[in-house]
Amino acid sequence: MMPPPPSQGPDCSRLGGTTAVGLGRLLFLRFTLRHWRRSPRQAALLVILLSLGIGVYFSVRLANRAAVTSFRDFTELITSQSDWVLTAPMGSLPEGVLTEIRQKLGNRPVVIVPVVETTASPPRGGSDTAIASGLTYTVYGIDLVAIRNGAPPGSAGTSWLGQGNSPEAFWSAFQNPRSVFISERLAQRQQLKVGSLLPVIVLEQLVNLEVAGIIPPAPGRPEPPETLLVMDLPALQTLTGKQGRLDRVELLAEAGFGDAARRASIRQELDGMAANRWTITTPTDRRAAGETMTRAFRLNLTLLSLIALMVGLYLVFQALDGAVVRRREEIAILRSLGVEERSIYKAWLNEALILGILGGALGLGIGWLGAQGAVQLVGRTVNALYYANSVNSAQLTAGESIGAFVLSISASLLAGWWPARVAAQTPPAQVLVRHRTPTGSRNRRLRTLIGLAFALGSVLLTLLPPYRVDAGFRIPVAGYAAAFFGVMGAGLCCGELVRWAARACARIGTASVSAKLALSQLRVGSGRHDLAAASLVWAVAMTSGMAILVASFDSTMRGWIGRTFQADLYVSSAGAQSASSQNRISPTTWRPIVNHPGVLDAQVIQVADVRLAEGPTMLVGVDLAFIRRHQALAWLSAPPESFFDTDLNEGMALASESFLERFQKKLGDTVDVPTPGGIRHLRISGTFADYGNERGSLTIDRHHMVDWVQDELATSLILNLQPGTSAETVRSELLAQFPGLQVFTNGHLRTELLRIFRQTFSITYALELIGMVVAVAGLALTLVSVLLERRSELTTLRALGMSPKNIAASTAWEGGLLAAVGSLTGLVVSLALGALLVYVINKQAFGWTLQFAVPWTQMAALGCLVTFSATAAAYAVGRWGSFLPSDRDE
Amino acid sequence: MNKRSNHLASDSISMRHRLSWQRFAILWNLLFSLIAGYAAQPTESPPAFLTKDGYAIPQPGHRFTFPNDHGNHPEFKLEWWYVTGHLRTQGVRRFGFQATFFREAGPKQPLESENSKNFAHRPFYLGHMALLDVGEGRFLHQSRLNRSGWDAGSVSNRLDVWNGNWRLTGMDKNVNPKWNESSQLELRLAGSIRGDAILDLQLTPEKPLVIFGTNGVSRKADSSSAASYYLTFSRLAAKGSIVLGGESLAVEGLAWMDHEISSGQLGDGQVGWDWACLQLNDGRDIMTYRLRNSDGSTDPNSSLTWVNPEGATTPVGPEKFRWRATRTWKSPISSAKYPNWVRIETTDPVSGKPISLDLEPLAEQQELIDELSGIAYWEGGCRVRDADGRDIGQAFLELTGYSASLASRLK
Repeated sequence: MMPPPPSQGPDCSRLGGTTAVGLGRLLFLRFTLRHWRRSPRQAALLVILLSLGIGVYFSVRLANRAAVTSFRDFTELITSQSDWVLTAPMGSLPEGVLTEIRQKLGNRPVVIVPVVETTASPPRGGSDTAIASGLTYTVYGIDLVAIRNGAPPGSAGTSWLGQGNSPEAFWSAFQNPRSVFISERLAQRQQLKVGSLLPVIVLEQLVNLEVAGIIPPAPGRPEPPETLLVMDLPALQTLTGKQGRLDRVELLAEAGFGDAARRASIRQELDGMAANRWTITTPTDRRAAGETMTRAFRLNLTLLSLIALMVGLYLVFQALDGAVVRRREEIAILRSLGVEERSIYKAWLNEALILGILGGALGLGIGWLGAQGAVQLVGRTVNALYYANSVNSAQLTAGESIGAFVLSISASLLAGWWPARVAAQTPPAQVLVRHRTPTGSRNRRLRTLIGLAFALGSVLLTLLPPYRVDAGFRIPVAGYAAAFFGVMGAGLCCGELVRWAARACARIGTASVSAKLALSQLRVGSGRHDLAAASLVWAVAMTSGMAILVASFDSTMRGWIGRTFQADLYVSSAGAQSASSQNRISPTTWRPIVNHPGVLDAQVIQVADVRLAEGPTMLVGVDLAFIRRHQALAWLSAPPESFFDTDLNEGMALASESFLERFQKKLGDTVDVPTPGGIRHLRISGTFADYGNERGSLTIDRHHMVDWVQDELATSLILNLQPGTSAETVRSELLAQFPGLQVFTNGHLRTELLRIFRQTFSITYALELIGMVVAVAGLALTLVSVLLERRSELTTLRALGMSPKNIAASTAWEGGLLAAVGSLTGLVVSLALGALLVYVINKQAFGWTLQFAVPWTQMAALGCLVTFSATAAAYAVGRWGSFLPSDRDE
Repeated sequence: MNKRSNHLASDSISMRHRLSWQRFAILWNLLFSLIAGYAAQPTESPPAFLTKDGYAIPQPGHRFTFPNDHGNHPEFKLEWWYVTGHLRTQGVRRFGFQATFFREAGPKQPLESENSKNFAHRPFYLGHMALLDVGEGRFLHQSRLNRSGWDAGSVSNRLDVWNGNWRLTGMDKNVNPKWNESSQLELRLAGSIRGDAILDLQLTPEKPLVIFGTNGVSRKADSSSAASYYLTFSRLAAKGSIVLGGESLAVEGLAWMDHEISSGQLGDGQVGWDWACLQLNDGRDIMTYRLRNSDGSTDPNSSLTWVNPEGATTPVGPEKFRWRATRTWKSPISSAKYPNWVRIETTDPVSGKPISLDLEPLAEQQELIDELSGIAYWEGGCRVRDADGRDIGQAFLELTGYSASLASRLK
């Protein structure tokens, strides 16, 4: 923030014996507060505008925080937080690992908690066929008998077993292979009690679980989320076909003396034991991995929330600026009474400060309330795209609250700084001479030069690579900065374009007095005009740029879907409703399906999560002959013929474009893939475009995959039917025979994919609309200030015979031309911005190559809409301004 | 349970068995309510060698085969291995410890679900471990419950029982019923109490194994099923280490071990018991108990047994000894009032003269509150003093049924 301008007058720090502090108080009471009392609605509106901006920012921050902190192992909600987690780099662990660990650790006090985990979904009605729209439960298999062994001393609480308060309840709780413990929330919501049945889909089977009790609460632990189900470990093993296998082993060093040294020694033992076989992570590692995975998503949300804040600030700025104009006489009187510039400056900043405090306080409340809704949306998105989380509600934290409050005050002071400076510079003679202070040509040139420098910087920034975080995830920071500087630069230059356009129009000539008058105003221009034009450029450029990105995506996706999804039916478990879903189709189900008489050809897809040294990704096993027969992949670089030969392709893999971008690999490179049978060295023999996931994947021959992971659980099936066979008929047959499956016809799948795709951008459309409305409103507010400044001119114009209609027309010309130039500039800039989004930001963030598509009609409509609505708003302001009384008469 | 004083006076050892069973049963009840009675009840009387729920009943004349009989007996419903002792460092530090491994077979009805080898539905293993640092007055304890499988179990051909990182093993050289060879058995007890203490002890019998009861069976009541096999090492030389507070201490001392095998049930009318094992400096040991009835009286089955330095036992009937509480201590945690200062008055079988033995707790706070159930009992190390106040030995004292919740469970 710049210091206030130096005092130019005599030292008048005292006014009638009033001290500086007393003067400040006096100015606040008589100057600031009086206006707020006179126009309480206007003051309230300012506070609300600011608080909404802060509220949106704060709610997103809280929701983000909740989503990140919810990335905890659910075991923590059930037993205690583990110190280490042992997993297989791919697939599951054999139970024998437990004995091995115990023997290795000897009598070291370590609680070993084996865990089996899967996902389940409630069965869906036949009419509900939307993809990824259902609830996903996380089902934990824990040894319910041993569950209390890790409990800290003195924490004897509600028992898991025997909640029915009888010996029978105890034994049946773990002997009944369908017993499940549920959260209090789920029990309340679905009115379940001990003995109630809870139908779910596990793998592809519809299973009726029986409620054995409520997950007992524990002091100091978060409440279990509604989606958490707990079963006895061997029961879940049987249910999921994982007999003898574990998904992970959690280890907890029992608290006691020399914790740090003891833990270090235990960790050393574990590392030695796990070398090249297992992965050992800490909850901190896992949380960090979750944070890394969602960092880009959360950053995007925060940026969007900051845009909301900026929109609020823009309006606050406009309002304060207008207030300076309206109160200029008072300021001049104060100045003539000897009040220093510094005092005036402080009085305005104080007004902004109070506004910031009030807006911040209200914003915290709004944000906290909003966060409760936002957290569900964020949690659902994180659940759908990244990992299962236990997010329930957003917690108010002191750090975030203070941060948002400080931001509110800082932002408000920033918005108030320029109006305060203008107010302080008001000369005492202003009371006699009211006219706008034209922007100096030097300032204008400087602004244009800065704008051009920004544009140049933007171009240079596009050359920078993305910021790479752990595990191959990257954030196109330079790309975002390039977009910001590019749009800012264009905005800064736009004022000059408006003046140039006005001069050009003037040269062309017009008979309309109103138009001439408007052009004369625009030729001279002002800082306010420049700001209004810049805001229109920003709004239009961002909206149109996003439209280009969406159009490019849409066009690319359609092509990809058309090429890739040509089969008749697509089958998966009905429980597969999110990215974290572990619902698979067991061979006993998929074999009869692929052998169905109506099926001509079938693809069995098997997906396994795998943790490479570079980061986690997916290994996909497919029937390569099917791919060759149906050309089912969008090749970027087709593999050699040997890739399709099972005898020759064991060391070969196809990499998706996202995989290449994420792990910086290229065709011919080798990837080391840890499997239960040891590390496999896979050479990238072909590449293909895959817009289905941003994390990347390696595709191999399923024959090898089955050998490596020792199971044949299919993630999905693709079926080509015999000629003349009705897809709907086969679908109905399959659904009747296997109610735990979801079966999509080609048309339905394509529609669903596009629906999900469009849904992804729905929030963007909403924000664009808000941006446009605010930009037009900002223009209207600018014109209000401009007309207030020109009150004396308006009086003169009226005296010269101009009717209110003429004055309104003149203002409409002024606003319309400004909006037209701003929109046109914005549209032109959006082409560059769109290219930046498509070729740089999207490529860096997701690794996807998109075809550049420009929605000309949509862009033209946008420009027209903005121009017409701005013209209409300007006309309305002009009409209002034409009736303003002359200030000389006040 | 029948209370036939004449019968039990003639077989006082069987009462120790009953006592042990009750002790176990109470601990078990704490966790799962009363487990007796959940089994499917057959409509016809079962044969005499099986309980109603189908478990084996100890039979007279059983030929013990070692090391097998140090191992588990899955045909019986209940079994436990119980070790207590007193340890000292080279300096002045003194410790008391207790480790108990229980095996509970569970109901014998067919399982609804598949039984996993590593996560079996039965049997279950319950464990308690405690350590008293006498100098610091610090009492550490922990309980643990596991199903049979990868982290808890026992074997049937030798002594090897474990629960988590607690383990009791017998490294023997084919010990058999010929007592003079039992000294070849060497036991190892290893475990920890959370992260606070780690124990690792070698236990070497200094006396032959004692098999209590008549003809190898310790009978508790008229019921044919109320019987057990009851094996005890009343004096084991203990040597090893304790890691406490990050400090590793070499320790030596004496320990006591019981191994009981049963399928019996609790008796009616009892609210608790007081039990003690004494190891006197002259090489003799005593095991004694007092059963308390709900009306406040002492059950006539209460008993005292001398074990001489060679391992021979001399039972003493309830009319030949007196158990008297000399002081009580109120737990600040459970509010239970324990009579943990005890005077035992009886006749010395060697001299034939009256003898008075005062048990003084090494620390008042030796109350165990089971973390899995919240139920409390007192079990701790004591000094033994004679009538002149001389320190003549060491003891372990067990007091149950003083916590309100426990008493209600007993009823």
